[in-house]
Amino acid sequence: MIAPYAGIAPMGDILLLQKLGEKLAGRSFLHINSTRSGGGVAEILGRMVPMLRELGIEARWEVIEGDEGFFNITKKIHNALQGNPEKITHEMWERHFEINKKNAEGLDLHADAVLIHDPQPIPLIEFRKEGKWIWRCHIDLSNPQKDVCDYLTQYCKKYDAAIFSVAKFARALGIDEFIVPPSIDPLSEKNRKLTYEEIQATLTKFNIPADRPIILQVSRFDRFKDPAGVIKAYRIVRKYNDAILILAGSPAADDPEGEAVLSEVKELASGDPDIHILLLPPFSDRDINALQRTATVILQKSLKEGFGLTVSEGMWKRKPVIGGAVGGIPLQIIHGATGFLVHSVEGTAFRIRQILNNPQMGIRMGETGREYVRTNFLITRQIRDYLAIWYSMENKGRSILEL
Amino acid sequence: MEKTGPFEFRQCVNIIKSTGKKAKTLRDLRDIIAVVSEEAIFHHIYHYFLKGHILEYTSDFAQWAGESIEERVLSEHLSNIDPYAFLNINDLRAELLRVMDDYLDAFPEPREAMPGEEFYFNETITLIFPVGIRARNLAEFLIALKYIDPGSLYYHFYDARMRLGGGTDDFSRWFEDALGKRGLAEKIRTVDLFMHSIEGIREHMIEAVEEELRRDMEWRGIER
Repeated sequence: MIAPYAGIAPMGDILLLQKLGEKLAGRSFLHINSTRSGGGVAEILGRMVPMLRELGIEARWEVIEGDEGFFNITKKIHNALQGNPEKITHEMWERHFEINKKNAEGLDLHADAVLIHDPQPIPLIEFRKEGKWIWRCHIDLSNPQKDVCDYLTQYCKKYDAAIFSVAKFARALGIDEFIVPPSIDPLSEKNRKLTYEEIQATLTKFNIPADRPIILQVSRFDRFKDPAGVIKAYRIVRKYNDAILILAGSPAADDPEGEAVLSEVKELASGDPDIHILLLPPFSDRDINALQRTATVILQKSLKEGFGLTVSEGMWKRKPVIGGAVGGIPLQIIHGATGFLVHSVEGTAFRIRQILNNPQMGIRMGETGREYVRTNFLITRQIRDYLAIWYSMENKGRSILEL
Repeated sequence: MEKTGPFEFRQCVNIIKSTGKKAKTLRDLRDIIAVVSEEAIFHHIYHYFLKGHILEYTSDFAQWAGESIEERVLSEHLSNIDPYAFLNINDLRAELLRVMDDYLDAFPEPREAMPGEEFYFNETITLIFPVGIRARNLAEFLIALKYIDPGSLYYHFYDARMRLGGGTDDFSRWFEDALGKRGLAEKIRTVDLFMHSIEGIREHMIEAVEEELRRDMEWRGIER
């Protein structure tokens, strides 16, 4: 599981993984989340747990169970933490706790370190046994609904530490708070190397011409991803440069506005054969990979964003990426070096034109971006960070640890 | 590290920890710098070089002042502080405060950061480990230098200046003490570390070591 990353991930990350593995061998590391498949957390856990076992750590992955009512509540909690107004009643909080209590009765919670992912299983802390308990928050907490955040803080404070993706998501909880950005897996279907034939198959399937520059945005049809702004920027670019635009994504099933946004985008694009709106079904990772590898410029023109890993995905494929300066995007794009950060439709159009007219600059940015992702945003770094945090908690009070 | 034995490459990796403190204005920044942990000052000043790319200024504080609140005069002043000229973090902290106080006296109403652009104070836990590469001579050193991670270069070139003091680094010390190459040591020691990224330092060192090796080989040829 680890060997295939040698030569891809930084040598130091793999070495440190092995050294931390030696220190923590035979110890147990339990991960708990709320779904076995679907979403970035499950994807990372699916790859991480076997790697931890290979390092000699007794890693386990448990999933809490709940009914539809429970997951409706946790969805509301999730939305409220991301800043959408939601009403969580006392009964809902009670149910959140009760379902976790029921799960605690059936789960083996004994472990040397326990990592609880996201708010769904957060009340499990009330049933902690021995070991270090860490809450891992994958959600954008930059502007949470206060009452919901306050309620969850009661649970957070009982953990030994918390982990957030970005420094600005951290709260003053009174416990150790670590910053661990998310990561991409370079060997996954979405990021692995593709053959020429595989790329051609995708282009043929979607009827995409390969002989013209391609501007691509991969994201849900969601107002925060600003697909309308992308089309407006493209229209400005077309006055000066030849290019086609691809907007690829899936309608946001859990977003009541998703269908409306998609209709607006289709209407805005209507009559322009050079704008390709691709509705991708779930598990279209290889097609997304192929589209990203074919693009000349990749956009992530978000108006609000959690971390926006599509930026790292594009950079990993040696593409210059233009992104809205929001959420985690400025952590990934080094303005002027790996792409550009933009604040408007006009800015987006200007930067696209700059790259289309300076292919060498695009190539240079793509190479810099690839190396930046290799050093900072690969899964090996994320696993390294988790183990380093656990190890540092066992050596509390020391800011320098020699291995 | 042994001064005269083989050069053993080591590396450092940082785990970032939030202090929970953030600044929205220059006065907030100043007041928090006055009380924040030494680890936080160390992180935002010295680890800036570990980011692997050159930003416009030379520390997180200067970068934020210039980019997020657009106080570029202050950024220039902060960038001019040489953190390696101080014997301890509290002396560096005092200098940061002096520069900021002078600026606030001259410009008492600086801009505020936009929401989301606040300065977040972090600190780090550093893990140091050997990378399993040893160089017994300059030729072996050159090969290793080309392939070690940036974290290893940082540890031996930047971090060493704090560990060793006296404006020296692990590489220069080994060149001089183990190989007797005072000229090469001097050349590396005097590189302006503020004007290069880590990769720039790597290129610079490769060039200097290759030149030294070439000269050694030519001398051997003449001696025969």
